[in-house]
Amino acid sequence: MDHKLGVYIDTGHGIGQALDVEALMTVVKKEMKVPLCRADSYWDEPEKLAIIRNDIKNEELTAVVIAGPSSRVYQDVFRFEGIITERVNLREQVIWCQPANHEDTQMLAEDYLRMGITKTKKYEDRAPFMEETDKSILVIGGGISGMTAAFEASKAGYQIYLVEKAPELGGWTGKFSKVFTGKPPYDQIVDSPAKEKIAAVNGAANIKVFTGSRVYAISGAPGMFDVIIRPEGEWTTPMNEAQQHWLGKKLAQNAMEAQGIDVKEEDRAGQPPKIDTETLDFPYEKIRVGSVIIAAGWKAEDPGKYENLGYGKYPDVITNVQLEEMVAAGKIARPSDGKPVNSVAFIDAVQSDSANPFLYSSTVACMVALKQAQYLRKSNAQGKAYLFYENMRTPGQYEKYYQTLQDDPGIFLSKGTVKGVSNGSAGLGVEVKDTLLGEEIKVNVDLVVLSTGMVPVLNDESVVNLTYRQGPFLPQNPYGQYDSHFICFPYETQRTGIFAAGCARQPQDIQGCELDATGAALKAIQCVELVAQGKAVHPRAGDQSYPELFITRCTQCKRCTEECPFGMYDEKPDGTPLPNPTRCRRCAICMGSCPERIISFRDHHVDMIGSMVKSVNVPDAEDEKPRVIVFICENDAFPSIDMAGINRMQYSPFVRFIPLRCLGNINMVWIADSLSKGIDGVMLIGCKYGDDYQCHFVKGSELATYRMSKISETLQRLALEPERIEVHQLTLNEYHKVPELINKFIETLSGFEPNPYKGW
Amino acid sequence: MANQVVVEPDLQFTQDLIAAGAGDLKKCFQCATCSVACRIAPDNNPYPRKEMIWAQWGLKDRLMGDPDVWLCHQCNDCSTQCPRGAYPGEVLKAARKMHIQESAWPSFLGKLVGEPALFVLAIGIPVVLVLLLLFGLNNGLRFPAPKPGEYLVHYGEFIKYLHIQIFFTAALAFGVISLLISLKNYWNKLDAANPALAGGPRKGFVPSLIETLADILPHTTFKDCEANNIRYSAHLLTFWGMIGLAITTAIVAGIVDIPHYILRGPEGIPPSRSGPGAIPIKLLGNVSAVAFLIGMVIMIVRRFTNPEQAGKSAYFDWFFLFVIFGAGVTGMATELVRFGGAISGAYVLYMIHLMFVLSLFLYLPFSKFAHIGYRTVAIAWGKSVGRNMTLPAKPNYVPAPKADTAGEAG
Repeated sequence: MDHKLGVYIDTGHGIGQALDVEALMTVVKKEMKVPLCRADSYWDEPEKLAIIRNDIKNEELTAVVIAGPSSRVYQDVFRFEGIITERVNLREQVIWCQPANHEDTQMLAEDYLRMGITKTKKYEDRAPFMEETDKSILVIGGGISGMTAAFEASKAGYQIYLVEKAPELGGWTGKFSKVFTGKPPYDQIVDSPAKEKIAAVNGAANIKVFTGSRVYAISGAPGMFDVIIRPEGEWTTPMNEAQQHWLGKKLAQNAMEAQGIDVKEEDRAGQPPKIDTETLDFPYEKIRVGSVIIAAGWKAEDPGKYENLGYGKYPDVITNVQLEEMVAAGKIARPSDGKPVNSVAFIDAVQSDSANPFLYSSTVACMVALKQAQYLRKSNAQGKAYLFYENMRTPGQYEKYYQTLQDDPGIFLSKGTVKGVSNGSAGLGVEVKDTLLGEEIKVNVDLVVLSTGMVPVLNDESVVNLTYRQGPFLPQNPYGQYDSHFICFPYETQRTGIFAAGCARQPQDIQGCELDATGAALKAIQCVELVAQGKAVHPRAGDQSYPELFITRCTQCKRCTEECPFGMYDEKPDGTPLPNPTRCRRCAICMGSCPERIISFRDHHVDMIGSMVKSVNVPDAEDEKPRVIVFICENDAFPSIDMAGINRMQYSPFVRFIPLRCLGNINMVWIADSLSKGIDGVMLIGCKYGDDYQCHFVKGSELATYRMSKISETLQRLALEPERIEVHQLTLNEYHKVPELINKFIETLSGFEPNPYKGW
Repeated sequence: MANQVVVEPDLQFTQDLIAAGAGDLKKCFQCATCSVACRIAPDNNPYPRKEMIWAQWGLKDRLMGDPDVWLCHQCNDCSTQCPRGAYPGEVLKAARKMHIQESAWPSFLGKLVGEPALFVLAIGIPVVLVLLLLFGLNNGLRFPAPKPGEYLVHYGEFIKYLHIQIFFTAALAFGVISLLISLKNYWNKLDAANPALAGGPRKGFVPSLIETLADILPHTTFKDCEANNIRYSAHLLTFWGMIGLAITTAIVAGIVDIPHYILRGPEGIPPSRSGPGAIPIKLLGNVSAVAFLIGMVIMIVRRFTNPEQAGKSAYFDWFFLFVIFGAGVTGMATELVRFGGAISGAYVLYMIHLMFVLSLFLYLPFSKFAHIGYRTVAIAWGKSVGRNMTLPAKPNYVPAPKADTAGEAG
C-alpha cells in the first residue's frame, strides 16, 4: 500500500547540536523520496503537534515518522487517530551513546531514518479482527476462589456460569472448622466465610450455578468459547486416563527431542485424544462464554510418600486435612484408640529427597499448623503442641498470629528435620535433628500431624478439556505453574482468555484466594471487552493487528501449530493451520517459525524487516566501517539499550538495532538478507529464558536460540564464518552490559575479513 | 543415638518462670542477638540464647543445672537489644530465683520468700520473734529511763545484750548452715546436670573458690558489663559496705563484747555501748554503713529512673531490697536518732532494725541475698570444670595485623 508520509525531525534534546540536520533532511527528501520533511525542536509541544495535525489534514498524510526521542517515551503525545505513527530513535540510541558531530554518528542517524521510513512504507492496511463475541464468563470451581470470582464479576454486570463438581458450593473452605483472618486482632480464628459467600452467589441474579457438574469440553477462542457442561459421573475416568496417557507420551517425546534424540513414529504422542463434541448422547448444557476463570482448587498431596514419617504405618500419624475433619466432626482424639490427645507434633512434611522439596509447601501449611495447634490448646489447657518446620512462613500480618501462638506456653516451635517416627510405650516418638535446641531430640506425642502440600488439581484431573490442537491441558512450567509470565502476568495462563485463580494457580490462603479471584475476574472482564473490540488481550493489550496466513502456499509443516506458545492454531482436516485470532497474543513467533514466510501482521512482517535490513547503507570494504544488525526483543532487551543511552554509555557506532515483538519472530531469511547485503555480523538479543524465564511470550527467546543453532547451513552456503552470528540474553536491568556486549562483538568481527558481499 | 535427648517439656516450670518475672520468654525466636550483645558470655555455648529455648521448652533440669545464669550480672544489654522484646535478662534473673528456691534447704522456706502471697507471713516471722524476745525475756516496750551524765539511751537495758548475741548468732548460724547445705545441693545439681563437664578433668574446689573470690571481691567481671558502670560502682559500694559492717559487727561482738561477758559477767557495761570512738573499729562500721546506703540508694533510684537498663523488678527483688535496705536505713536512723536525743524513737527504731536484721539472717539462703553464695559457687564450679568464662579483651574480628607484626599475632 502506498502511504503518504510526513517526517518530523526533532532538533531539540541536543539532537540539533550533535547531528547535521540538513544532511538528515536530504536523506529523507532526496534518497527516501519523502517530500514532506520538517525539522524543529520539541515536536511534543502542543503548538508543534498542531503543525503535524495540520499536515495530516492538509497534505492528507496517512503516516507520520517522528525522529527524536525513543519510542518508549511520549507514547501518549504522538498518537494520531487513524494515522500510522512510527518513531525513529535519534536520542537514546544515537546522540546519547555516540560522540557529537562525528561522521559515524551521522551515518547511524541516517540509517535509522532510512530504516524507519522503509518500515512505515511497508505498513499494510488491514482492518482489526472483528467477530460477534460473547461477554459472559465461565468460572470452573465453586470454592472460595470460584465463588469470589463469580460474585465480583457479576457485580460488574457480567453473566456468570459457575460450575462445581460437588453437589454443594463451598469447596475446601466449606469444610474448615475455623479459619485465620490476617485481620485485627490477629490472634483470633473465626468461622469459615463459606456460608456467606454461598449466600452471596446464590443471591446474585446473573450467576447461573451448575452443581454436581463438570466441564466436558471447551472449544473455540476468547469471546467465542463453546462450553459443554455435563453432570459429574463415571465418564471422567476414561477421559482422564486417555488424556494422561497422551500427556505422558507427549512429555517423553519433548524430553527426547530436547536431548536431540530422533523420536520414532510409535513414540510420538500424535494428536491429543479427541473430545467428541458432536454426538452428545448424554444430558448436557451448552453455553457460549467470552472467557474462562479456572478456580478448580487443589487436592491434598498424597501422604503415602511419607512412610518414613510413619504415615500408613501408625494410625495416629495423620495429615492436617484429616485433623481438620476431626475437629469439624467434634473433637481431637487418637484414631487408634479414641483416647483424648494431650500432645501433638506438627511436621512440615517437605519432600527432602525431591528436586523441588518445597514444591507445594507454603505459607498455608505453616498457618494451618499454627491454627491446628491453637485448636489443641483451646480444647486442652495441658495440651502440648510441637511444631517442627523447615521454614516458618507467616508473612505480613500473619506474623502477629504467629507471635500470639509463640507466646502460648504449650506451643513448642523449632526448626528441625524429622528423622523418623516410631511407636513406643509412651505414644509416638518423633526424632528430630538440626533443632533450635542445638541437638537431636525426641518427643513423645499422642498424635503426629503431617502438613502435606496443596497440589493444583488442574492437570491430574480432566478439568479444562480444551479441544485445542496442542492438547486438553493448560501448559505447565517445570514447577507445575500455569503462568505465561509470572513476574508481570500472574493470572494469565498460556491459553489466552483462560485465567487461573486461587489454589489452582498456587497454594494460598483464603485471603489470597479472594484477592486472586478478584484479580482474575478483572482480567476476564478485560479479555471479553478487548476481544469485542478486535484487540489483543495481553501483554500487547490493545494491539489491533493479527496474523494472516497466505494459506495457498502452506506446506502443512505444522511448525506454527507446534511452536505457538499459546495454542492459537488448530488444524484443518487438510493439515493446514486454522488460526483462532482471538487466542493470539500477537507475539509473531509463528511468523518466525514459518519456512514459507506466509504469516504476516499488518505492521510486522517478514518483508518489512527484510526491507529495513536492506535499507541500511553499507560502506565499501575499504572504508573500514563494518556494519552489524542487531535484532532485539522490544520487551526487555530494547529498553536496556535505551537505558544504556540514558546513562550515556558509549559503544560502537557500527550497530543498527531492529526491534522485534519477540526474538521468536526471527526468521532465517533476515539473516540471509543481512549477510548477502554485506553486513559483517548479526547479533540477536532476547529476554532471559529457562526456569526463571522473563520472555514475555514464554519461549520466544529460547526458540530463537534453537533456530540459530541451525544457521550453519546458511553460513556455509555464503562461505562465512559462524562467529558472525551471536545470540544473547539481556534482562531489563543489565543495561550496563550493553557496551561490552557490542564492542566485544565488533572486536570479534575485526578478526575477520570484511563481508565479501559488500557492494553487491 | 548417644547425643539424642528425650524432651519432656514441663509446662508448670515455664509458667513458674513467667510468674517469676520472665513474662516474655516465649517471644524468643533464637536469633542469638543476646549472646552476641553480652560482653561477658563465654565463647563456647554462650548464654542467654540456650537458656531462652530451655525456658521456652520447659526443660527444667537443664535450666536448673545451668551455672551460666550466675555468670550474668544483669546489665540487660541483651534485653535492650533483643529485637523481639523477649527480655533474656529477665529470664536469667527468673532462673536465678528458681535456682535459689529449688536448692533451698529447708525447701518450704524457699517458697515462703518467693511467694508474694506469703509476704505477711515471711515478714511476720522475724517480727514475732523479735517481739517474743522483747516481751518474753525483756520488759516489752517499756523504755529504760535515761541516766543523765551516763547515758540517754541504753539498748542493753531495753534488750539484754546477751540475748541479742545469742539470738542473732543463732539466727546467723541457721542462715549460714542452711545456705551451705543449699549450696551443696546446688553443687551436686550442677554436677548431675552437666555430666560431660563434671566428668572431665577438674580443678579442686578450694583453688577454684580462691580464683572466684579474686574475681568477685574486686567485681572484675561485673566491671566488664560496661553498660552497667553505675550499677557496678553502686554494687561495689554496697558489697564492701556490707563486708565492713560484717567485720565491725564481728569484731565488736566477737572480740570485744563476748569476751567481756565471759570475763566480767552480764552485769558489767560492755565497751561497745560507750559511745562513738570508744571502740575505734566502730568508725569502720559508720563508714561502711554510709557506703552501703549510698550504693543501695543509687541502685534503687536506678530501678525507677532507668527501668530499661535496670530491668523489670520482680517481687523477689523487692523483697530482698526491702529487707536489706530496711536493715541499713533503720540501723543508720537508730544511730542518728540516738545522737539526736529522741529516746523513744531510738528504741522503736532499734526494735525495727532488729527485725530487719533478723530477716536478713534468717532469709540469707532463700532470698535474693543468697546470690552471694550461689554466684560464688556457680562461678567456682565453672572454674573447677574449666568452663571458659572470659572473652578476649578485644573482639576476634579486629582487622588483620600488619605484615611486620603478623608473625607475633599468630
